[in-house]
Amino acid sequence: MEALLATLVSGLVLGSLYALMSSGLSVVWTTLGVFNFSHGALMMVGAFVAWTVSEVLGLGPVVGILSGTLAAGLVGIVIERLLVRPFYSNRNMLLITAMTTLAAMVILERGAQMIWGARLKQLPHLVPGEVRILGTTISAHEALLIVLAPLILVALWRFTVTTNRGRSLRAVGQNQDSAALLGIDVPVAFALAFGISAALAGLTGALLGSIRFVTPTMGSEPLTKAMIVVIFGGLGNLGATAGAAYLIGFIEAFLILGLGLYWTPFVLFLLMILVLLFRPNGVFGGK
Amino acid sequence: MANKPQLLAIVALFAALAVVPLFVTDSYIRHLFIIAFVYAVIASNWNLSLGHCGVFNFGHLTFFGIGVYTAAIASKTFGINPWIAMLLGGGTAAMSALLLAAPVARLKGIYVVLVTFAFTQLVLQLVLSQSQITGGAEGMVRLPFLELGSYSFLKDFKFGYYYVGLVLLAFSCLFLAFVSNSSFGKSLKAVRDAEDYAAARGISVARQRILALTLSAIFTGIAGGFYAIYLRVASPEVFGFGTLSLALSMVLIGGVNTVFGPVLAALVLTFATEAMAGLQGFEDARFIVIAVAMILVLRLAPEGLVDLLGRLRLPASKART
Repeated sequence: MEALLATLVSGLVLGSLYALMSSGLSVVWTTLGVFNFSHGALMMVGAFVAWTVSEVLGLGPVVGILSGTLAAGLVGIVIERLLVRPFYSNRNMLLITAMTTLAAMVILERGAQMIWGARLKQLPHLVPGEVRILGTTISAHEALLIVLAPLILVALWRFTVTTNRGRSLRAVGQNQDSAALLGIDVPVAFALAFGISAALAGLTGALLGSIRFVTPTMGSEPLTKAMIVVIFGGLGNLGATAGAAYLIGFIEAFLILGLGLYWTPFVLFLLMILVLLFRPNGVFGGK
Repeated sequence: MANKPQLLAIVALFAALAVVPLFVTDSYIRHLFIIAFVYAVIASNWNLSLGHCGVFNFGHLTFFGIGVYTAAIASKTFGINPWIAMLLGGGTAAMSALLLAAPVARLKGIYVVLVTFAFTQLVLQLVLSQSQITGGAEGMVRLPFLELGSYSFLKDFKFGYYYVGLVLLAFSCLFLAFVSNSSFGKSLKAVRDAEDYAAARGISVARQRILALTLSAIFTGIAGGFYAIYLRVASPEVFGFGTLSLALSMVLIGGVNTVFGPVLAALVLTFATEAMAGLQGFEDARFIVIAVAMILVLRLAPEGLVDLLGRLRLPASKART
């Protein structure tokens, strides 16, 4: 029983992490129709900037996390401007932007390696101490992640549903031409979507930097998991993506309990292939 | 696609490559040529699925890695003759491609990218987790080397390995030229350019995709086997982003519509990256330079540099009329 509860809690932590990662991917996908391969690298940028501001400049973890979020958001806007926007009218836009964002990932990762070096770094916990949930002890920082993730997701959802700016993102995603006719500045909407998504990645990275080590390649494993999530959930719908994120988090936690750490990624992938064979648009995917 | 001047240029290139070791005795330069041959096989075969068939395959390096580990395990663990172990790499790579192609053939757009990309991660995880078979993160070392009769290929400053690599590249090019000029190759382009029309004309889109992926894996896997036997090492690094982006840039810079563009790009880029690796402080920066070059090519010459060269001559001939 105790092992079961512990697994549930660890699934909740993983699910929160994957939900934050994949919702960012989903925002860019629904607005621009671009799959951003540099999403994991943006997460890493957030973590490194947070580490530099918090530890090197000594401004503390809160300022660090905020600057990490902001920095990642800015880098995201630059990526959109230089590597995505020039290809909008291209017939193979989907494939080309997959390649350019992959190139952006290489540039960011190697650049981080050159700037910060290979030494392992870690951020301090945002909140010290431990918390007991369902009879399991986890660090207060992980508990914060569990609480924060749904709050951010709901805020993001409210933003796209209730505010004019948020609605303009969805309008652009559905039909660029009519959105432009309605007076929506399409390029601004694109930059905004990319910026929000990148900032979300930066925040995730800064939070993850206290749980795992901050390294130039720290983003690639979460990105791979986020890919599995979006395959399960489909990319088109924020709610479905978030649901799939928690589902994958729980499945992964239970697989680790039952099969051990080594076989878990393998089984997850096999599950994914089965899903694709029978539901090519994802478990919760509509069309 | 291969008109007469092109064909002559290709024959001349291979003839030139065939005499290089007679003049170049430095073992490091020969090593660079061998690595370039391996990358040329990877890039030009990748082009078969990515360029000719339009399958957004991001998992091509997995076939290479599977070839590497097949040859390593077959030769070291089972003591199979390394010549045969190399060829076995092509077989297992093609089988894995068939396995991957089954779900991929049914998918569209971004989901193809995601699945093929995640496939690489799956195989990497498998290699890392089965450390008693694959050596885990450290990989496998001291693999058996090639011998022909009593001649050891370790002698004569890589002279023998150079020709094995060149012959491998030549066979791979012949194979690709044959495939792309056959009616099958033409149907691949039809599937890429007008999927609905191709389907209406009776081409099975799914079957062509499965075939293209499987065919593109054969020589890639053999190249992986050769790479492992030549370096006598199998390491999980072959699945990494570094190898992937380097090979991808060769396909893009060489041009996605040709057989020989990626081959040329592989030769040029291998030497360019190695030259940069020699410069102080460029160990990481060279990957950034290549990534930037890839973006610039996509931006300025989406059909590849080889195509750009071809187009430069075109306005001149038009000007005369």
